[in-house]
Amino acid sequence: MSELKVPTCIWCGKTIIPTEYFVKFPCPNCGGVTITRCERCRKFGRPYKCPKCGFVGP
Amino acid sequence: MTSAETYEYLLPLESLVVSGIQIGTKIKTKHMEPYIYRVRPDGLFIIDTRKTDERVRIAAKFMATFPPSSIAVVSFRLYGQTPVAKFCEVTGCVPILGRFPPGAFTNPLCPSYMEPQLVMVTDPAADEQAIGEASKIGLPVIALCDTDNVVENIDLVIPTNNKGRKALAMVYWLLARQVLRERGAISTDGNLSVPVEDFETKLTESKEET
Ligand SMILES: [Zn+2]
Ligand SMILES: [Zn+2]
Repeated sequence: MSELKVPTCIWCGKTIIPTEYFVKFPCPNCGGVTITRCERCRKFGRPYKCPKCGFVGP
Repeated sequence: MTSAETYEYLLPLESLVVSGIQIGTKIKTKHMEPYIYRVRPDGLFIIDTRKTDERVRIAAKFMATFPPSSIAVVSFRLYGQTPVAKFCEVTGCVPILGRFPPGAFTNPLCPSYMEPQLVMVTDPAADEQAIGEASKIGLPVIALCDTDNVVENIDLVIPTNNKGRKALAMVYWLLARQVLRERGAISTDGNLSVPVEDFETKLTESKEET
């Protein structure tokens, strides 16, 4: 499962450092994919796109 | 989704518009630009009601996947407090009204400490403390965002007038109904037993707007 890989930010692709303020949640629209956003992308309100349903947030 | 002409709103468009949910402010942030429909001659930015409607549906779907008691709903400002209290009464979520107790999400020694899994805020500017704490512990955040809000540490935006008394009542009422529909607690076209008026902060009980 992809969940076991080192988590990376869905927008910028950066590897998540365990000490940063990242967030992880199921896609609000389809629930089918875990969205991981790094601290910076989240702070700057950068978008994320669900690879399964195409939903673009935040 | 269907075309603009046949899009079915959660309530008739006229009822939504009467509540003023589309009325933004005279300030537009770059984050909120995609949700803006037009600018009025007096400089007021108008939110695209269809986008509000779509986001209420998505937020409700998202909320319905969490246990009700694990969702904290926050409103510092007075006009959001009755809507949030009613929303929580109907859905079983946990309201945090007025000043956010520092440490409520991050300090187990805080008397009002709780461990939510999802946080919803009424106004990112006024509810900044709650958002800050949620970001420190990695909680997803849903926010009602007006045209002047900065989308910082927010994971799901519901674009709406988040300042008006009637607009806040309307958006929380729609959201409450949609959450119950998504949970299957009422049918997909079922209604709340509570009218939208009951979600309004009444002017008689208001002290002063903060
Ligand atoms: Zn990133
Ligand atoms: Zn999705």
